[in-house]
Amino acid sequence: MKTMLERWVAFPAWFLLGMVCMGWSCPARAALGGDVASVEADRAHMNASLQVTAAEGYAVQSMKTPGGTVVSEYVAPGGRVFAVAWHGPFLPEMQQILGTYFQQYSAGLQARKKVYGRHPLNLELPGLVVQAGGRMRAYMGRAYIPEMLPPGLKVEGIK
Amino acid sequence: MRKLVFVLILLGCLALAVGCGGGSSSSSSGGGSSSSGGSTSSAANVLSIVVDGGPTANEPGGVIYSNAAFATVTICAPGSSTNCATVDHLLVDTGSFGLRVLESEVASLNLPTVNASNGSAAYDCASFADGSFLWGPVQGATVTLAGETAANLPIQVVSSSTANIPSSCSTNLSEDQGSQSGLGANGILGVGLEPQDCGPACAPGGLSPPPPVYYTCSSSSCTLAYVDEANQVTNPVVLFSTDNNGVIVELPAISESAATVTGSLIFGIGTESNNQLASSATVFTTLCDDFTTIFKGTTLGPSVSNDECTGPGSFIDSGSNGLYFQNLTNIPLCPSSTPAGNLSGFYCPASLTNYSATNVDPNHPSTTKVTDFSVDNALNLFTGASTSSDAAFSTIGGLNPAGYGFDWGLPFFYGVNLYSAIDGQIVSSAPQSPPWWAY
Repeated sequence: MKTMLERWVAFPAWFLLGMVCMGWSCPARAALGGDVASVEADRAHMNASLQVTAAEGYAVQSMKTPGGTVVSEYVAPGGRVFAVAWHGPFLPEMQQILGTYFQQYSAGLQARKKVYGRHPLNLELPGLVVQAGGRMRAYMGRAYIPEMLPPGLKVEGIK
Repeated sequence: MRKLVFVLILLGCLALAVGCGGGSSSSSSGGGSSSSGGSTSSAANVLSIVVDGGPTANEPGGVIYSNAAFATVTICAPGSSTNCATVDHLLVDTGSFGLRVLESEVASLNLPTVNASNGSAAYDCASFADGSFLWGPVQGATVTLAGETAANLPIQVVSSSTANIPSSCSTNLSEDQGSQSGLGANGILGVGLEPQDCGPACAPGGLSPPPPVYYTCSSSSCTLAYVDEANQVTNPVVLFSTDNNGVIVELPAISESAATVTGSLIFGIGTESNNQLASSATVFTTLCDDFTTIFKGTTLGPSVSNDECTGPGSFIDSGSNGLYFQNLTNIPLCPSSTPAGNLSGFYCPASLTNYSATNVDPNHPSTTKVTDFSVDNALNLFTGASTSSDAAFSTIGGLNPAGYGFDWGLPFFYGVNLYSAIDGQIVSSAPQSPPWWAY
Protein backbone atom coordinates (compact mmCIF):
# COMPACT_ATOMS: atom_id res chain seq x y z
CA MET A 1 0.00 0.00 0.00
CA LYS A 2 1.42 3.37 -0.94
CA THR A 3 1.38 6.36 1.33
CA MET A 4 -0.80 9.32 0.53
CA LEU A 5 2.31 11.29 -0.46
CA GLU A 6 3.36 8.63 -2.93
CA ARG A 7 -0.12 8.66 -4.43
CA TRP A 8 0.06 12.37 -5.01
CA VAL A 9 3.50 12.02 -6.58
CA ALA A 10 2.16 9.23 -8.75
CA PHE A 11 -0.60 11.49 -9.98
CA PRO A 12 0.83 14.94 -10.63
CA ALA A 13 -1.58 15.52 -13.48
CA TRP A 14 -4.50 14.69 -11.22
CA PHE A 15 -3.22 17.10 -8.61
CA LEU A 16 -2.59 19.95 -11.02
CA LEU A 17 -5.89 19.56 -12.79
CA GLY A 18 -7.64 19.32 -9.46
CA MET A 19 -6.10 22.65 -8.47
CA VAL A 20 -7.16 24.19 -11.77
CA CYS A 21 -10.67 22.84 -11.31
CA MET A 22 -10.98 24.50 -7.96
CA GLY A 23 -10.40 27.89 -9.47
CA TRP A 24 -12.11 27.46 -12.82
CA SER A 25 -15.21 25.72 -13.89
CA CYS A 26 -14.17 22.37 -15.24
CA PRO A 27 -15.87 20.94 -18.27
CA ALA A 28 -17.87 17.80 -17.55
CA ARG A 29 -15.37 15.64 -19.33
CA ALA A 30 -15.87 12.04 -20.21
CA ALA A 31 -15.13 9.51 -17.51
CA LEU A 32 -14.53 6.21 -19.32
CA GLY A 33 -11.79 6.87 -21.82
CA GLY A 34 -11.24 10.33 -20.40
CA ASP A 35 -8.28 11.60 -18.42
CA VAL A 36 -7.97 11.92 -14.67
CA ALA A 37 -9.55 15.35 -14.80
CA SER A 38 -12.79 13.66 -15.70
CA VAL A 39 -12.70 11.84 -12.38
CA GLU A 40 -12.84 15.15 -10.59
CA ALA A 41 -15.61 16.32 -12.89
CA ASP A 42 -17.57 13.20 -12.03
CA ARG A 43 -16.90 13.59 -8.34
CA ALA A 44 -18.14 17.15 -8.41
CA HIS A 45 -21.17 16.24 -10.51
CA MET A 46 -22.15 13.47 -8.12
CA ASN A 47 -21.36 15.52 -5.02
CA ALA A 48 -19.39 12.49 -3.90
CA SER A 49 -16.56 11.83 -1.49
CA LEU A 50 -13.38 10.44 -3.03
CA GLN A 51 -11.10 7.61 -1.94
CA VAL A 52 -7.96 6.76 -3.86
CA THR A 53 -6.39 3.29 -3.84
CA ALA A 54 -3.21 2.45 -5.71
CA ALA A 55 -2.68 -1.01 -7.19
CA GLU A 56 -0.09 -2.62 -9.43
CA GLY A 57 -0.40 -0.93 -12.80
CA TYR A 58 -3.43 1.24 -12.07
CA ALA A 59 -5.22 3.31 -9.45
CA VAL A 60 -8.83 3.20 -8.33
CA GLN A 61 -10.70 6.39 -7.50
CA SER A 62 -13.85 5.45 -5.61
CA MET A 63 -16.60 8.00 -5.20
CA LYS A 64 -19.48 7.51 -2.83
CA THR A 65 -22.52 9.55 -3.73
CA PRO A 66 -24.88 10.88 -1.06
CA GLY A 67 -27.34 8.23 -2.28
CA GLY A 68 -25.03 5.44 -1.21
CA THR A 69 -24.02 4.41 -4.69
CA VAL A 70 -20.31 3.85 -5.14
CA VAL A 71 -18.69 4.63 -8.49
CA SER A 72 -15.10 3.47 -9.00
CA GLU A 73 -13.00 4.71 -11.86
CA TYR A 74 -9.89 2.77 -12.84
CA VAL A 75 -7.02 4.93 -14.03
CA ALA A 76 -4.01 3.73 -16.02
CA PRO A 77 -0.53 5.11 -15.26
CA GLY A 78 -0.88 7.38 -18.30
CA GLY A 79 -3.89 8.99 -16.64
CA ARG A 80 -6.62 7.49 -18.81
CA VAL A 81 -9.75 5.98 -17.27
CA PHE A 82 -10.03 2.44 -18.66
CA ALA A 83 -12.88 1.10 -16.54
CA VAL A 84 -15.73 2.25 -14.34
CA ALA A 85 -17.82 0.20 -11.93
CA TRP A 86 -20.85 1.01 -9.82
CA HIS A 87 -22.91 -0.60 -7.10
CA GLY A 88 -25.62 0.63 -4.78
CA PRO A 89 -29.32 1.22 -4.32
CA PHE A 90 -29.55 3.70 -7.22
CA LEU A 91 -27.96 3.98 -10.61
CA PRO A 92 -25.35 6.61 -11.38
CA GLU A 93 -25.87 8.82 -14.40
CA MET A 94 -24.63 6.62 -17.18
CA GLN A 95 -24.00 9.51 -19.53
CA GLN A 96 -21.75 11.08 -16.94
CA ILE A 97 -19.61 8.04 -16.24
CA LEU A 98 -19.50 6.60 -19.76
CA GLY A 99 -18.72 9.94 -21.33
CA THR A 100 -17.92 9.63 -25.01
CA TYR A 101 -18.72 5.91 -24.87
CA PHE A 102 -22.32 6.60 -23.92
CA GLN A 103 -23.57 6.85 -27.50
CA GLN A 104 -21.98 3.53 -28.40
CA TYR A 105 -23.54 1.92 -25.32
CA SER A 106 -26.95 3.39 -26.01
CA ALA A 107 -26.90 2.40 -29.68
CA GLY A 108 -25.64 -1.07 -28.75
CA LEU A 109 -28.52 -1.60 -26.37
CA GLN A 110 -31.07 -0.62 -28.94
CA ALA A 111 -29.48 -2.64 -31.73
CA ARG A 112 -29.96 -5.93 -29.93
CA LYS A 113 -32.60 -8.03 -31.63
CA LYS A 114 -35.37 -8.10 -29.10
CA VAL A 115 -35.71 -11.18 -26.93
CA TYR A 116 -38.27 -10.70 -24.20
CA GLY A 117 -37.11 -11.33 -20.70
CA ARG A 118 -35.46 -9.64 -17.76
CA HIS A 119 -31.88 -10.65 -17.22
CA PRO A 120 -28.41 -9.29 -16.49
CA LEU A 121 -26.78 -7.17 -19.16
CA ASN A 122 -23.71 -8.37 -21.03
CA LEU A 123 -23.04 -6.00 -23.90
CA GLU A 124 -19.85 -6.68 -25.83
CA LEU A 125 -19.16 -4.02 -28.44
CA PRO A 126 -16.01 -3.15 -30.38
CA GLY A 127 -13.68 -1.62 -27.80
CA LEU A 128 -16.31 -1.53 -25.06
CA VAL A 129 -17.88 -4.04 -22.67
CA VAL A 130 -20.79 -3.09 -20.41
CA GLN A 131 -22.08 -5.59 -17.84
CA ALA A 132 -24.79 -5.05 -15.24
CA GLY A 133 -26.90 -7.06 -12.86
CA GLY A 134 -28.96 -6.84 -9.71
CA ARG A 135 -32.54 -5.80 -9.15
CA MET A 136 -34.61 -2.86 -7.95
CA ARG A 137 -32.84 -1.13 -5.03
CA ALA A 138 -29.60 -3.10 -5.60
CA TYR A 139 -27.76 -2.46 -8.84
CA MET A 140 -24.24 -3.24 -9.96
CA GLY A 141 -22.39 -2.87 -13.18
CA ARG A 142 -19.12 -2.20 -14.94
CA ALA A 143 -17.92 -0.77 -18.22
CA TYR A 144 -14.41 -1.20 -19.53
CA ILE A 145 -12.14 -0.87 -22.51
CA PRO A 146 -10.91 -4.48 -22.96
CA GLU A 147 -7.62 -3.68 -24.64
CA MET A 148 -6.63 -1.35 -21.81
CA LEU A 149 -7.05 -3.84 -18.94
CA PRO A 150 -3.72 -4.22 -17.09
CA PRO A 151 -2.42 -7.82 -17.01
CA GLY A 152 -2.94 -8.13 -13.26
CA LEU A 153 -6.58 -7.03 -13.24
CA LYS A 154 -9.28 -9.59 -13.82
CA VAL A 155 -12.71 -8.48 -14.97
CA GLU A 156 -14.28 -9.52 -11.67
CA GLY A 157 -11.82 -7.18 -9.96
CA ILE A 158 -13.61 -4.23 -11.55
CA LYS A 159 -16.23 -3.68 -8.88
CA MET B 1 -44.74 -38.34 -3.69
CA ARG B 2 -46.31 -35.28 -5.24
CA LYS B 3 -43.50 -35.18 -7.75
CA LEU B 4 -44.05 -38.80 -8.68
CA VAL B 5 -47.76 -38.24 -9.15
CA PHE B 6 -47.00 -35.23 -11.28
CA VAL B 7 -44.57 -37.13 -13.47
CA LEU B 8 -47.20 -39.82 -13.95
CA ILE B 9 -49.73 -37.19 -14.97
CA LEU B 10 -47.23 -35.72 -17.40
CA LEU B 11 -46.50 -39.12 -18.89
CA GLY B 12 -50.21 -39.71 -19.22
CA CYS B 13 -50.55 -36.45 -21.07
CA LEU B 14 -47.81 -37.33 -23.47
CA ALA B 15 -49.21 -40.78 -24.09
CA LEU B 16 -52.63 -39.43 -24.88
CA ALA B 17 -51.21 -36.51 -26.84
CA VAL B 18 -53.87 -34.19 -25.60
CA GLY B 19 -53.51 -30.84 -23.93
CA CYS B 20 -53.54 -31.49 -20.25
CA GLY B 21 -54.34 -28.45 -18.25
CA GLY B 22 -56.44 -29.31 -15.29
CA GLY B 23 -57.88 -25.86 -14.99
CA SER B 24 -55.63 -23.96 -17.33
CA SER B 25 -57.71 -21.64 -19.44
CA SER B 26 -54.94 -21.19 -21.96
CA SER B 27 -54.82 -23.43 -24.94
CA SER B 28 -51.88 -25.67 -25.43
CA SER B 29 -49.96 -25.06 -28.59
CA GLY B 30 -46.96 -26.75 -30.05
CA GLY B 31 -45.38 -29.87 -28.77
CA GLY B 32 -45.36 -29.21 -25.07
CA SER B 33 -48.07 -29.96 -22.61
CA SER B 34 -49.72 -27.60 -20.23
CA SER B 35 -49.29 -27.95 -16.53
CA SER B 36 -51.19 -26.58 -13.64
CA GLY B 37 -50.48 -26.64 -9.97
CA GLY B 38 -50.61 -24.77 -6.75
CA SER B 39 -53.77 -24.31 -4.84
CA THR B 40 -56.83 -24.98 -6.91
CA SER B 41 -59.20 -23.34 -4.48
CA SER B 42 -60.97 -20.16 -5.37
CA ALA B 43 -60.11 -18.65 -2.01
CA ALA B 44 -60.01 -14.87 -1.76
CA ASN B 45 -56.26 -14.91 -1.28
CA VAL B 46 -55.39 -17.04 -4.32
CA LEU B 47 -54.61 -15.26 -7.58
CA SER B 48 -54.15 -17.48 -10.62
CA ILE B 49 -50.90 -16.95 -12.48
CA VAL B 50 -49.93 -18.31 -15.88
CA VAL B 51 -46.75 -18.78 -17.88
CA ASP B 52 -48.28 -18.46 -21.32
CA GLY B 53 -45.80 -16.54 -23.46
CA GLY B 54 -47.25 -13.10 -22.84
CA PRO B 55 -49.90 -10.90 -24.44
CA THR B 56 -48.82 -11.35 -28.06
CA ALA B 57 -47.79 -15.01 -28.04
CA ASN B 58 -50.94 -16.16 -29.81
CA GLU B 59 -51.28 -13.20 -32.15
CA PRO B 60 -50.04 -13.15 -35.74
CA GLY B 61 -46.44 -12.06 -35.69
CA GLY B 62 -46.47 -12.22 -31.91
CA VAL B 63 -43.41 -13.00 -29.87
CA ILE B 64 -43.23 -15.49 -27.01
CA TYR B 65 -42.02 -14.08 -23.71
CA SER B 66 -40.46 -17.20 -22.21
CA ASN B 67 -40.52 -17.98 -18.51
CA ALA B 68 -42.65 -15.03 -17.47
CA ALA B 69 -45.49 -15.61 -14.98
CA PHE B 70 -48.45 -13.31 -15.53
CA ALA B 71 -51.41 -12.24 -13.43
CA THR B 72 -54.65 -10.39 -14.07
CA VAL B 73 -55.85 -7.66 -11.70
CA THR B 74 -58.74 -5.21 -11.59
CA ILE B 75 -57.82 -1.54 -11.39
CA CYS B 76 -60.53 0.97 -10.40
CA ALA B 77 -60.70 4.66 -9.73
CA PRO B 78 -60.37 5.09 -5.97
CA GLY B 79 -63.61 4.16 -4.24
CA SER B 80 -65.35 3.12 -7.45
CA SER B 81 -66.57 -0.37 -8.30
CA THR B 82 -67.70 0.53 -11.80
CA ASN B 83 -64.99 2.76 -13.24
CA CYS B 84 -62.61 -0.16 -13.60
CA ALA B 85 -60.32 -1.94 -16.01
CA THR B 86 -59.29 -5.56 -15.96
CA VAL B 87 -55.63 -5.74 -16.89
CA ASP B 88 -54.09 -9.05 -17.87
CA HIS B 89 -50.50 -10.07 -18.45
CA LEU B 90 -48.88 -8.23 -15.58
CA LEU B 91 -45.46 -9.76 -14.94
CA VAL B 92 -45.35 -11.31 -11.46
CA ASP B 93 -42.05 -10.02 -10.11
CA THR B 94 -40.58 -10.90 -6.72
CA GLY B 95 -37.58 -8.73 -7.64
CA SER B 96 -39.39 -5.38 -7.64
CA PHE B 97 -41.93 -3.52 -5.58
CA GLY B 98 -45.20 -1.95 -6.67
CA LEU B 99 -47.68 -2.13 -9.53
CA ARG B 100 -46.70 -0.55 -12.87
CA VAL B 101 -49.21 -0.60 -15.66
CA LEU B 102 -49.11 0.72 -19.20
CA GLU B 103 -50.97 3.99 -19.68
CA SER B 104 -53.01 2.46 -22.52
CA GLU B 105 -54.57 -0.03 -20.09
CA VAL B 106 -55.95 2.50 -17.61
CA ALA B 107 -56.19 5.78 -19.54
CA SER B 108 -60.00 5.67 -19.59
CA LEU B 109 -60.17 5.59 -15.79
CA ASN B 110 -58.76 9.10 -15.33
CA LEU B 111 -57.01 8.08 -12.17
CA PRO B 112 -56.10 10.90 -9.78
CA THR B 113 -52.53 12.10 -9.50
CA VAL B 114 -50.48 11.39 -6.40
CA ASN B 115 -48.37 14.29 -5.23
CA ALA B 116 -44.77 14.66 -4.24
CA SER B 117 -44.07 16.42 -0.96
CA ASN B 118 -43.75 19.73 -2.81
CA GLY B 119 -47.43 19.50 -3.81
CA SER B 120 -46.92 18.77 -7.49
CA ALA B 121 -47.78 15.54 -9.27
CA ALA B 122 -45.16 12.87 -8.69
CA TYR B 123 -43.44 10.97 -11.50
CA ASP B 124 -41.58 7.71 -11.05
CA CYS B 125 -38.54 6.23 -12.77
CA ALA B 126 -38.20 2.46 -12.41
CA SER B 127 -34.80 1.15 -13.41
CA PHE B 128 -34.02 -2.45 -14.25
CA ALA B 129 -30.67 -4.18 -14.38
CA ASP B 130 -31.06 -5.23 -17.99
CA GLY B 131 -30.69 -1.72 -19.36
CA SER B 132 -34.36 -0.76 -19.42
CA PHE B 133 -36.50 1.74 -17.59
CA LEU B 134 -40.16 2.63 -17.07
CA TRP B 135 -41.21 6.26 -16.70
CA GLY B 136 -44.57 7.73 -15.79
CA PRO B 137 -46.75 9.48 -13.22
CA VAL B 138 -47.80 8.09 -9.87
CA GLN B 139 -51.57 7.74 -9.69
CA GLY B 140 -53.99 6.44 -7.08
CA ALA B 141 -56.19 3.40 -7.69
CA THR B 142 -58.19 0.76 -5.89
CA VAL B 143 -56.68 -2.49 -7.04
CA THR B 144 -58.21 -5.92 -6.55
CA LEU B 145 -56.13 -9.08 -6.81
CA ALA B 146 -58.34 -12.18 -6.56
CA GLY B 147 -60.45 -11.34 -3.49
CA GLU B 148 -57.97 -8.95 -1.86
CA THR B 149 -58.20 -5.20 -2.29
CA ALA B 150 -55.60 -2.47 -1.93
CA ALA B 151 -57.49 0.82 -1.60
CA ASN B 152 -55.84 4.07 -2.66
CA LEU B 153 -52.77 2.26 -3.90
CA PRO B 154 -50.12 4.48 -5.49
CA ILE B 155 -49.24 2.84 -8.81
CA GLN B 156 -47.00 3.87 -11.66
CA VAL B 157 -48.84 4.57 -14.90
CA VAL B 158 -46.18 3.94 -17.53
CA SER B 159 -46.08 6.65 -20.18
CA SER B 160 -46.11 5.77 -23.83
CA SER B 161 -44.59 9.17 -24.60
CA THR B 162 -40.90 9.80 -24.24
CA ALA B 163 -41.35 13.54 -23.90
CA ASN B 164 -39.83 15.19 -20.86
CA ILE B 165 -38.10 12.12 -19.46
CA PRO B 166 -35.24 13.49 -17.36
CA SER B 167 -31.75 12.42 -18.35
CA SER B 168 -31.04 10.96 -14.92
CA CYS B 169 -33.78 8.44 -15.68
CA SER B 170 -33.46 7.79 -19.39
CA THR B 171 -29.73 8.01 -19.84
CA ASN B 172 -29.15 5.59 -17.04
CA LEU B 173 -30.53 2.81 -19.10
CA SER B 174 -31.36 3.97 -22.59
CA GLU B 175 -34.13 1.51 -23.29
CA ASP B 176 -37.65 2.80 -22.75
CA GLN B 177 -40.15 -0.02 -22.34
CA GLY B 178 -43.27 2.11 -22.18
CA SER B 179 -45.26 -0.02 -24.60
CA GLN B 180 -46.57 -3.56 -24.80
CA SER B 181 -44.16 -4.39 -27.58
CA GLY B 182 -41.26 -2.93 -25.62
CA LEU B 183 -42.12 -4.52 -22.29
CA GLY B 184 -43.63 -7.77 -23.51
CA ALA B 185 -46.32 -7.32 -20.87
CA ASN B 186 -49.04 -4.88 -19.85
CA GLY B 187 -47.21 -3.99 -16.68
CA ILE B 188 -45.28 -5.36 -13.73
CA LEU B 189 -46.75 -6.59 -10.45
CA GLY B 190 -43.89 -6.13 -7.99
CA VAL B 191 -44.55 -8.24 -4.89
CA GLY B 192 -41.00 -8.59 -3.56
CA LEU B 193 -39.44 -8.14 -0.13
CA GLU B 194 -39.95 -4.40 0.28
CA PRO B 195 -43.11 -2.31 0.74
CA GLN B 196 -42.12 0.53 -1.63
CA ASP B 197 -39.87 0.97 -4.64
CA CYS B 198 -37.64 3.45 -2.82
CA GLY B 199 -38.49 3.90 0.86
CA PRO B 200 -37.13 6.46 3.35
CA ALA B 201 -34.29 7.52 1.04
CA CYS B 202 -36.79 9.19 -1.30
CA ALA B 203 -39.02 10.67 1.42
CA PRO B 204 -38.64 14.13 2.98
CA GLY B 205 -35.64 14.01 5.30
CA GLY B 206 -34.10 11.31 3.12
CA LEU B 207 -31.03 11.57 0.98
CA SER B 208 -29.89 14.91 -0.35
CA PRO B 209 -30.24 15.40 -3.26
CA PRO B 210 -33.18 13.02 -3.72
CA PRO B 211 -32.28 9.74 -5.46
CA PRO B 212 -33.14 9.41 -9.17
CA VAL B 213 -36.50 7.75 -8.55
CA TYR B 214 -39.10 10.48 -8.03
CA TYR B 215 -39.57 13.75 -9.90
CA THR B 216 -41.96 16.61 -10.37
CA CYS B 217 -42.35 18.22 -13.75
CA SER B 218 -43.04 21.57 -15.35
CA SER B 219 -44.25 21.76 -18.93
CA SER B 220 -40.68 21.58 -20.13
CA SER B 221 -38.60 19.61 -17.66
CA CYS B 222 -38.59 17.38 -14.61
CA THR B 223 -36.50 17.65 -11.45
CA LEU B 224 -35.78 15.31 -8.54
CA ALA B 225 -38.31 15.41 -5.72
CA TYR B 226 -39.18 13.80 -2.41
CA VAL B 227 -42.31 11.70 -2.00
CA ASP B 228 -43.77 10.60 1.34
CA GLU B 229 -43.44 6.86 1.78
CA ALA B 230 -47.23 6.51 1.82
CA ASN B 231 -47.36 8.08 -1.64
CA GLN B 232 -44.55 6.07 -3.19
CA VAL B 233 -45.32 3.26 -5.62
CA THR B 234 -46.28 0.51 -3.18
CA ASN B 235 -46.28 -3.25 -3.09
CA PRO B 236 -50.06 -3.83 -3.16
CA VAL B 237 -49.88 -6.70 -0.67
CA VAL B 238 -49.03 -4.42 2.26
CA LEU B 239 -52.24 -2.43 1.72
CA PHE B 240 -54.53 -5.45 1.96
CA SER B 241 -56.57 -5.41 5.16
CA THR B 242 -55.52 -9.01 5.81
CA ASP B 243 -53.09 -11.54 4.31
CA ASN B 244 -50.66 -8.65 3.96
CA ASN B 245 -47.36 -10.00 5.29
CA GLY B 246 -46.08 -11.70 2.15
CA VAL B 247 -46.84 -13.98 -0.76
CA ILE B 248 -46.35 -17.57 -1.84
CA VAL B 249 -45.54 -18.26 -5.49
CA GLU B 250 -46.61 -21.76 -6.48
CA LEU B 251 -45.80 -23.24 -9.87
CA PRO B 252 -45.85 -26.97 -10.64
CA ALA B 253 -42.81 -28.94 -11.66
CA ILE B 254 -42.45 -29.37 -15.40
CA SER B 255 -40.18 -31.46 -17.53
CA GLU B 256 -37.81 -29.42 -19.67
CA SER B 257 -40.53 -27.38 -21.29
CA ALA B 258 -44.27 -26.87 -21.40
CA ALA B 259 -46.58 -24.92 -23.65
CA THR B 260 -48.17 -23.18 -20.68
CA VAL B 261 -48.07 -23.52 -16.94
CA THR B 262 -50.63 -22.30 -14.44
CA GLY B 263 -50.07 -21.76 -10.75
CA SER B 264 -50.99 -19.49 -7.90
CA LEU B 265 -49.89 -16.33 -6.18
CA ILE B 266 -51.17 -16.77 -2.64
CA PHE B 267 -51.40 -13.77 -0.33
CA GLY B 268 -50.36 -13.92 3.30
CA ILE B 269 -48.12 -16.36 5.12
CA GLY B 270 -49.59 -18.23 8.08
CA THR B 271 -52.75 -16.16 8.02
CA GLU B 272 -55.16 -18.67 6.46
CA SER B 273 -55.50 -22.42 6.24
CA ASN B 274 -54.12 -22.35 2.70
CA ASN B 275 -50.95 -20.33 3.33
CA GLN B 276 -49.28 -22.00 6.29
CA LEU B 277 -45.51 -22.24 6.24
CA ALA B 278 -44.74 -25.84 5.36
CA SER B 279 -42.61 -27.69 7.88
CA SER B 280 -40.34 -28.74 5.03
CA ALA B 281 -39.61 -25.12 4.08
CA THR B 282 -36.30 -23.58 5.09
CA VAL B 283 -36.45 -19.90 6.08
CA PHE B 284 -33.61 -17.73 4.79
CA THR B 285 -33.39 -14.30 6.36
CA THR B 286 -31.63 -11.77 4.18
CA LEU B 287 -28.89 -9.19 4.40
CA CYS B 288 -29.43 -6.21 2.10
CA ASP B 289 -32.41 -8.24 0.79
CA ASP B 290 -30.00 -10.86 -0.54
CA PHE B 291 -28.88 -14.29 0.61
CA THR B 292 -25.83 -16.41 -0.07
CA THR B 293 -25.37 -19.06 -2.73
CA ILE B 294 -22.34 -21.31 -2.75
CA PHE B 295 -21.71 -22.60 -6.25
CA LYS B 296 -18.68 -24.48 -7.52
CA GLY B 297 -16.80 -23.58 -4.34
CA THR B 298 -17.44 -19.88 -4.78
CA THR B 299 -19.41 -18.06 -2.09
CA LEU B 300 -21.75 -15.47 -3.56
CA GLY B 301 -23.20 -13.54 -0.67
CA PRO B 302 -23.94 -10.05 0.62
CA SER B 303 -21.83 -8.14 3.10
CA VAL B 304 -21.97 -4.77 4.78
CA SER B 305 -19.10 -2.41 5.31
CA ASN B 306 -19.35 1.23 6.37
CA ASP B 307 -23.15 0.97 6.39
CA GLU B 308 -23.03 0.09 2.72
CA CYS B 309 -24.19 -3.12 1.09
CA THR B 310 -21.58 -4.78 -1.05
CA GLY B 311 -22.01 -7.87 -3.08
CA PRO B 312 -22.06 -10.22 -4.52
CA GLY B 313 -25.53 -10.93 -3.13
CA SER B 314 -27.68 -13.71 -4.49
CA PHE B 315 -31.45 -13.45 -4.78
CA ILE B 316 -34.69 -15.14 -5.85
CA ASP B 317 -36.45 -13.24 -8.62
CA SER B 318 -39.52 -14.49 -10.48
CA GLY B 319 -39.07 -11.57 -12.88
CA SER B 320 -35.79 -12.98 -14.20
CA ASN B 321 -36.55 -15.41 -16.98
CA GLY B 322 -33.62 -17.75 -16.39
CA LEU B 323 -31.13 -18.95 -13.83
CA TYR B 324 -28.34 -16.40 -14.11
CA PHE B 325 -24.93 -17.18 -12.65
CA GLN B 326 -21.34 -16.46 -13.45
CA ASN B 327 -19.64 -18.86 -15.78
CA LEU B 328 -17.31 -20.76 -13.48
CA THR B 329 -17.14 -23.91 -15.62
CA ASN B 330 -16.74 -22.53 -19.13
CA ILE B 331 -20.25 -23.36 -20.31
CA PRO B 332 -20.55 -22.31 -23.97
CA LEU B 333 -22.70 -19.23 -24.55
CA CYS B 334 -25.34 -19.23 -27.28
CA PRO B 335 -24.80 -17.34 -30.56
CA SER B 336 -25.81 -13.70 -30.86
CA SER B 337 -27.51 -14.18 -34.20
CA THR B 338 -30.19 -16.87 -34.17
CA PRO B 339 -33.75 -17.29 -35.49
CA ALA B 340 -34.81 -16.69 -31.88
CA GLY B 341 -32.92 -13.41 -31.61
CA ASN B 342 -29.72 -12.50 -29.79
CA LEU B 343 -29.20 -15.34 -27.32
CA SER B 344 -25.65 -14.41 -26.34
CA GLY B 345 -26.65 -14.03 -22.69
CA PHE B 346 -27.89 -17.64 -22.46
CA TYR B 347 -25.95 -20.83 -21.95
CA CYS B 348 -25.77 -23.38 -24.74
CA PRO B 349 -24.11 -26.52 -23.35
CA ALA B 350 -23.85 -29.45 -25.75
CA SER B 351 -26.40 -31.35 -23.69
CA LEU B 352 -28.42 -31.20 -20.51
CA THR B 353 -26.06 -30.57 -17.62
CA ASN B 354 -26.85 -31.03 -13.93
CA TYR B 355 -25.61 -28.70 -11.23
CA SER B 356 -25.97 -28.28 -7.51
CA ALA B 357 -25.66 -25.17 -5.36
CA THR B 358 -26.15 -24.50 -1.65
CA ASN B 359 -28.20 -21.59 -0.45
CA VAL B 360 -27.23 -20.13 2.93
CA ASP B 361 -28.88 -17.68 5.32
CA PRO B 362 -26.28 -14.90 5.57
CA ASN B 363 -27.29 -14.20 9.18
CA HIS B 364 -27.46 -17.85 10.26
CA PRO B 365 -24.76 -19.70 8.32
CA SER B 366 -25.89 -23.08 9.64
CA THR B 367 -29.20 -22.65 7.80
CA THR B 368 -28.57 -24.13 4.38
CA LYS B 369 -30.35 -25.96 1.61
CA VAL B 370 -28.81 -27.85 -1.27
CA THR B 371 -30.63 -26.94 -4.47
CA ASP B 372 -30.18 -28.89 -7.67
CA PHE B 373 -30.81 -27.45 -11.10
CA SER B 374 -30.09 -28.25 -14.71
CA VAL B 375 -29.11 -26.19 -17.72
CA ASP B 376 -29.76 -27.20 -21.30
CA ASN B 377 -29.03 -25.66 -24.66
CA ALA B 378 -31.22 -22.55 -24.90
CA LEU B 379 -30.92 -22.30 -28.67
CA ASN B 380 -32.16 -25.87 -29.11
CA LEU B 381 -35.03 -25.27 -26.69
CA PHE B 382 -36.13 -21.97 -28.22
CA THR B 383 -35.91 -23.18 -31.83
CA GLY B 384 -36.50 -26.94 -31.62
CA ALA B 385 -39.45 -28.30 -33.58
CA SER B 386 -41.18 -29.70 -30.52
CA THR B 387 -40.40 -26.86 -28.11
CA SER B 388 -40.21 -23.60 -30.08
CA SER B 389 -43.82 -22.68 -29.35
CA ASP B 390 -43.54 -23.45 -25.65
CA ALA B 391 -43.56 -20.69 -23.04
CA ALA B 392 -42.12 -22.45 -20.00
CA PHE B 393 -38.60 -23.84 -19.73
CA SER B 394 -37.11 -25.30 -16.56
CA THR B 395 -33.52 -25.55 -17.80
CA ILE B 396 -32.77 -22.08 -19.14
CA GLY B 397 -29.58 -20.60 -17.74
CA GLY B 398 -27.54 -17.57 -18.60
CA LEU B 399 -24.59 -15.44 -17.76
CA ASN B 400 -24.42 -13.19 -14.74
CA PRO B 401 -21.23 -11.17 -15.11
CA ALA B 402 -18.08 -12.34 -13.35
CA GLY B 403 -18.05 -11.52 -9.67
CA TYR B 404 -21.84 -11.12 -9.41
CA GLY B 405 -24.23 -13.26 -7.35
CA PHE B 406 -26.69 -15.98 -8.27
CA ASP B 407 -30.00 -14.77 -9.73
CA TRP B 408 -32.56 -17.54 -9.15
CA GLY B 409 -35.08 -16.72 -11.85
CA LEU B 410 -38.32 -18.39 -12.86
CA PRO B 411 -36.89 -21.86 -13.64
CA PHE B 412 -36.17 -22.12 -9.91
CA PHE B 413 -39.90 -21.73 -9.18
CA TYR B 414 -41.13 -24.79 -11.12
CA GLY B 415 -41.94 -27.40 -8.51
CA VAL B 416 -41.23 -25.06 -5.60
CA ASN B 417 -43.48 -23.13 -3.26
CA LEU B 418 -41.57 -19.91 -2.66
CA TYR B 419 -42.55 -17.89 0.40
CA SER B 420 -41.57 -14.22 0.34
CA ALA B 421 -42.15 -12.29 3.59
CA ILE B 422 -42.18 -8.49 3.32
CA ASP B 423 -39.89 -6.17 5.27
CA GLY B 424 -41.64 -4.54 8.22
CA GLN B 425 -44.47 -7.10 8.38
CA ILE B 426 -44.94 -9.86 10.92
CA VAL B 427 -45.22 -13.57 10.25
CA SER B 428 -46.25 -14.88 13.65
CA SER B 429 -45.77 -18.51 12.71
CA ALA B 430 -42.06 -18.00 11.96
CA PRO B 431 -39.47 -16.94 14.53
CA GLN B 432 -37.56 -14.85 11.98
CA SER B 433 -38.50 -11.25 11.23
CA PRO B 434 -39.05 -10.44 7.56
CA PRO B 435 -37.66 -9.80 5.04
CA TRP B 436 -37.07 -13.44 4.26
CA TRP B 437 -37.59 -16.14 1.70
CA ALA B 438 -38.52 -19.72 2.44
CA TYR B 439 -38.78 -22.80 0.27
